[in-house]
Amino acid sequence: MNLKDPESMNQVIGKVLRYGVILSALIVILGTIGLMVSNGTSETGGYLAYNPSAVPHDGIDVSPAGLLHGLVTFSAFSWIELGVVVLIATPVSRVLISVFLFAAEKDRLYVMITAVVLALLLFSILATPSIPGFHA
Amino acid sequence: MFVADFVLLMFLVSIFAGIFGSIAGLGGGIVVIPVLTILLGVDIHFAIGASIVAIIGTSSGAASTYVKDKVTNLRVGMFLELASASGAIIGAAVAAYTNSAALEFIFGCILLITLVPMVMKIGEEIPKSPELKGLSKRLGLKGSYTETDGRIINYNSTRPVEGLAGTLVAGILSGLLGIGGGAFKVLSMDLAMKLPMKVSTTTSNFMIGVTAAASAGIYFARGDVDPLIVAPVALGIFIGAALGARILLRSRNTTIRKAFAVVLAIAALEMILSAAGVLP
Repeated sequence: MNLKDPESMNQVIGKVLRYGVILSALIVILGTIGLMVSNGTSETGGYLAYNPSAVPHDGIDVSPAGLLHGLVTFSAFSWIELGVVVLIATPVSRVLISVFLFAAEKDRLYVMITAVVLALLLFSILATPSIPGFHA
Repeated sequence: MFVADFVLLMFLVSIFAGIFGSIAGLGGGIVVIPVLTILLGVDIHFAIGASIVAIIGTSSGAASTYVKDKVTNLRVGMFLELASASGAIIGAAVAAYTNSAALEFIFGCILLITLVPMVMKIGEEIPKSPELKGLSKRLGLKGSYTETDGRIINYNSTRPVEGLAGTLVAGILSGLLGIGGGAFKVLSMDLAMKLPMKVSTTTSNFMIGVTAAASAGIYFARGDVDPLIVAPVALGIFIGAALGARILLRSRNTTIRKAFAVVLAIAALEMILSAAGVLP
């Protein structure tokens, strides 16, 4: 693929988004099948209870260690959460790859614009949750 | 209700949400939130967490088709993302100091007012293309796409600063309330920048995934993204977005404007009723 061809920018970005969605969907499907097999005929009540006094409010540990533990013990919920992580990462990857695509086109202005967007995005996702006063 | 029934119901609702969200450029949140809170009695925090997943899913699912077919204007999208991403951070920073009911009421009313210029342009297929000059020219904010009947539509854009300002408001709303962002993005591109309707809704669709991802970290870490809810939502949204993208590409701009006006009215009413305490 010739990255200098402006036509290919649409192709590459389209593919990044498509593969992200497909990967996320496959993982979520796996988790959902697991959920159906293990809990399909349970009542929803307990799983939909929002607990305002404890974090995480849904009672599922999504810290990296907690998620990993859930994945290796085949918790259906943890696999679904992994699918969500892949889904959140999809637009981020799209912005990241756009920086390189504009660089290949030697379009400095847009390399700068997309790099700033990427920085804002990473700051917002990774840093703001731990800044006191944010999202209160 | 059994888990299996809940999953099936939310899956079907989300297909519908994905179709409308991908055509109007707002994401599937405005359908998913009221179904969860009003019909199923789910807590609003879980509903907003599901809405974030629905928005990223609609955006990425439909954008892969829109971008490949070159209806989305990548440069317009990435330029405006400067404002929407900054806005999302500003919204998150000031959320603690604002009255969200008052904000919802004000912005719900603004959206209702924007219905007027929307409806006045209801028969417009392609806007008269402005001259490309100044900042728009320097930023290359022009494009062309091919209609299904083979016509090639060339267009320019205008008033990039107004577009940027409108998108900043969109980002702030997303960061503050988790809703309303997509509507202001479409309105900025349509009313200020004079882009064809299809370009406006598909470029908004392209951007909303990034804005939603910006806020996703906090909702995810807090445990507002409940797996039982988001699993059927994500899967339904993917299917709905793929269907919606096919429908949009075959539709006339006038049809998309009508669909957007309807969704805009619903979004405005949801915000006003929620502010009034009628909706959760």
